[in-house]
Amino acid sequence: MIILKEANYKVPDGKLIKVKLSVSSEKIDQVRILGDFFLHPEETILTIEESLIGSVKDEISITETIKETLNESDAILIGATASDFSKVIMMAWESK
Amino acid sequence: MEEFRFIDLETHDAYMNMAIDEAVMRAIKEGKAPPTLRFYRWKPSAVSIGTFQGMYDEVAIDYCKSQGIDYIRRITGGGAVYHDYEGEITYSILMPMKHPLAKTDIIESYKLICGGIIASLNILGINDAEFKPINDVIASGKKVSGNAMTRRHGCVLQHGTILLDLDVHEMFTILKVPQEKISDKMISDVKERVTSIRDILNRKVSVDELLESLTQGFTDALKIKLLPSKLSDEEFQMATKLAKEKYSSDAWNFSR
Repeated sequence: MIILKEANYKVPDGKLIKVKLSVSSEKIDQVRILGDFFLHPEETILTIEESLIGSVKDEISITETIKETLNESDAILIGATASDFSKVIMMAWESK
Repeated sequence: MEEFRFIDLETHDAYMNMAIDEAVMRAIKEGKAPPTLRFYRWKPSAVSIGTFQGMYDEVAIDYCKSQGIDYIRRITGGGAVYHDYEGEITYSILMPMKHPLAKTDIIESYKLICGGIIASLNILGINDAEFKPINDVIASGKKVSGNAMTRRHGCVLQHGTILLDLDVHEMFTILKVPQEKISDKMISDVKERVTSIRDILNRKVSVDELLESLTQGFTDALKIKLLPSKLSDEEFQMATKLAKEKYSSDAWNFSR
């Protein structure tokens, strides 16, 4: 994977999120959400990353996609929220 | 009073330490092992990273290789930890999800189990230790213990480190500390974030003294009875297999 874009964000009173993003034709080609947050069950992160492939640059719809995956997986995210993930994806997208 | 199998202080390499945790979880899942508390050290010294972290993002791999320091990915979330053989004790507590000490709420669960560490610090004469959500124990406002939990195989596993001594320079040579994390806390000096028992008490507390206080601290805080024992042969074989096939593999450690 060629890393094109990256951003870091420390959630106030929460954990650090790092996003690595590659974009092709204005859509997410691949995304990695890294950090020291907690997510139970842990495998959910892969489902989230996969669900975001093909997403366009829209913070609200990306948040919704993440929320949907969390719900479907009956997952608990601690130290960050779906909106935080989405926010950092946007930050990465807008980075040079 | 709930009974726990107690595996007293052992020393293993990073791969075996993490493999034992998983082997015990699997055994508990199959009803073949009781709730368990174990204490252990890491030899060679090692850095463990949280399951969602990137190995190259967090760890100075070339430096570790040159110094013979192991590096490993945990199955738990949370941050990177340097496990200095001389400078800390690690614990793991494992129990079925339905155990009375396994709280449904995850922060409550951390708080309960971290009570064992706070009680231990009290025994050593550190009276201002407290739980700091999400997963830290602090004393005098500085982190002295980091903890991480997972819930899988029908089990709750929490493991964590209690810092006895701290070589700040070494720690931040091994770990790549993100600037964002520092600036958020309005602390310009990373050395102000973390402390150790020897720093606080200003005396050379031994590993044995810390071990004794931890054993008593967990017993008191969790109101449990510790039954000294060891891994079953089956657990040991499973751990050996997991250490070899999973925890020492680049496929696992560099998966992110």
